[in-house]
Amino acid sequence: MTLPLKKERDEMILNMGPQHPATHGVLRLLLELEGEVVKKVVPIIGYLHRGIEKLGEERTYIQNLVLTDRLDYTAAMSNNLSYALAVERLCGIEVPERARVIRVIMAELARIAAHLLWIGTYALDIGAITPFFYCFREREKIMDMFEMVSGQRLTPSYICIGGVRKDITPTFLEALRNFTDTFESYILDYEGLLSKNPIWLARTRDVAVLSKEDAINWGTTGPVLRASGVQFDFRRATPYCGYENYEFEIPYGTRGDCYDRYRVRMEELRQSNRILKQALNNLPDGPVLADVPYIVMPDKSQVLTDIEALIKHFKIASGAFQIPKGEVYSSIENPKGELGFYIVSDGSSRPYRMRIKSSCFVNLSALPFMVEGQMVADVVAAVGSIDIVLGEVDR
Amino acid sequence: MLVKINGQEYEVDQGTTILQIAREKGIYIPTLCYLERVSPIGSCGLCVVEVEGQDELVQACNTYVEDGMVINTDTPSVKAARKAALEKILEKHPLDCPVCDKAGECKLQDLVYELGYEERISHKVVGIPLLKEPPVSYSTPGIKYYPSRCVLCQRCVTICSEYVGREVLVVNEEGDKPRIEPLYADRCISCGECLAVCPVGALTENVSPLKVRPWQKKVSRTVCPYCGVGCVLELNVGDNRVVKVTVDESIPPNYGTLCVKGRFGFEFINSEKRLKRPLIRKNDEFQEVSWDEALDFVAEKLTAIKESAGPDAIAGLASAKCTNEDNYVFQKFMRAVIGTNNVDHCARL
Repeated sequence: MTLPLKKERDEMILNMGPQHPATHGVLRLLLELEGEVVKKVVPIIGYLHRGIEKLGEERTYIQNLVLTDRLDYTAAMSNNLSYALAVERLCGIEVPERARVIRVIMAELARIAAHLLWIGTYALDIGAITPFFYCFREREKIMDMFEMVSGQRLTPSYICIGGVRKDITPTFLEALRNFTDTFESYILDYEGLLSKNPIWLARTRDVAVLSKEDAINWGTTGPVLRASGVQFDFRRATPYCGYENYEFEIPYGTRGDCYDRYRVRMEELRQSNRILKQALNNLPDGPVLADVPYIVMPDKSQVLTDIEALIKHFKIASGAFQIPKGEVYSSIENPKGELGFYIVSDGSSRPYRMRIKSSCFVNLSALPFMVEGQMVADVVAAVGSIDIVLGEVDR
Repeated sequence: MLVKINGQEYEVDQGTTILQIAREKGIYIPTLCYLERVSPIGSCGLCVVEVEGQDELVQACNTYVEDGMVINTDTPSVKAARKAALEKILEKHPLDCPVCDKAGECKLQDLVYELGYEERISHKVVGIPLLKEPPVSYSTPGIKYYPSRCVLCQRCVTICSEYVGREVLVVNEEGDKPRIEPLYADRCISCGECLAVCPVGALTENVSPLKVRPWQKKVSRTVCPYCGVGCVLELNVGDNRVVKVTVDESIPPNYGTLCVKGRFGFEFINSEKRLKRPLIRKNDEFQEVSWDEALDFVAEKLTAIKESAGPDAIAGLASAKCTNEDNYVFQKFMRAVIGTNNVDHCARL
């Protein structure tokens, strides 16, 4: 590949990645350095491209759900939710109240898990090893809870079109209650390790600054946007799953540097925990799957005893259903920012087009703007702070 | 004659049934047992419609229209009656879909999905457990017969007696559940017409060892290679093998009918014994040779015979399994290159 950068005297062109541990996956950065100063950064993406949008056109709406797990795999539950909401809006499916609350629980747990993973690995990137162990201790509890409800840790495919696959169990509720009761104190642990740590401050304060205007102009979303001082959250702006009924703050920063991004995410952990507690206290009874027999699969226990359920299961799984013609764009607040699905239906059982709007991709495109003119070591701090997952960048 | 269907008036001819009119005008009435080629069977009870002035619902397939008839095809009572009829069938149907060859193109599955689109058909658990019964003996080895899957629509009985005229099948009403039986198996000509009309997996094809689901296969329309009638048939190809032969009922000359050879005689395509390379007999043994060598050998011998004994010493016999184009070229070769009219063809198989 020809280098898009031109080398001049005293300049060095350096490849960072795609096998570099601090690029969080397979991001390749082409750096133009003058001594220690970064003159230019070109992110080169596509190493994790699996063609998910194109694959989506070949599979039925139900099969596509498992593809969404593989976008931002640190918060697969949220991806499921965004996709399910888009298809439900296309079909006009009303989701039962209990399923809506369970969805909120899962989405917030996914947010906590994703942020914990981020804090652990980001601290590792810039030299603090200890927080990683604490963060993964709690993340493991969430993974266990995901396994309880879906049998899977990383790729649950639990939130499905019409609701959620299975009802949650008392064991899960007990584990969740224990988690929410203790989690606040754990957040204090992480903050105790980092917030006033001089090395941490030196590495993050005023590094990779993105002003409010630039953050908006680059189209960033999620914690990156909020750290720059924009109090915007899709849960508040365009509520879904009944988020308008929950009390929570939208944390935001003032300087738009790496430290503010860290602060915003820490505060989001608290707010998510707050939402979880409210959801736990207001969990209604009832079904967890909408009664829409033409697309929502019947319960598996029925399928093995009832011929009508078996036939419907067979027909739906083999793509007999037809989604109404039309197009829809629906987006949610993922841990990383806006995850949107634009789906065009031609009236068949497969999408005509499934476009995925990824916040990681947009936020990454603001990276060169943040780090040009800064030191090379700050590139690592900047890449980490925008929290990208290449599974979603490359799709 | 004027009739009104669902509020819309239509000008119709005398002597047509309600179902025929509805099909012609694009009004959907579900059917399970109805076949265009034979007289209405009227066993499934799914095509019921409401006729104003009549106390009971009537079957659209065997009710002739009368002047001024007002017909409704989509009222709640009609829907309920259709669901009740389907529920009766489902009650005795085994949970065979995962192992049934017909699943995916099964008429019963389609109807359950269509009529249960908005809500369940039955309000209780229906169906009997997966039986894993071996198929029972049938009048022809080309067909496997699973009586438990039968929905007693009697399409097979009717087509055999009315259309094929062999009257092999009867409905045996003895026992707790009536069943179709090949009572006069010696009359069977293995045409497979019963197999073609069976809406469910009760009769399934027993020739191809490989089976595929409908969404895995490719259907190619072609002409039967056996005899001079030239029946149009559809080869169902899965995994690069012909797995089944189906027919389009709307296409001449056979209009959905086939004989035993057309319907079941396709396994030769994938036979291991087929000649795939030219052979030349050397020292009393056939040996595989290259095409160049084989063609050189034939050209040399044909030239030698033609020169020594004249073109009429040579005759050509073509195969009916080749295409028309192949055979045309072959006779052209015999007449123009060799110079003889001794050409024949085996289309009497």
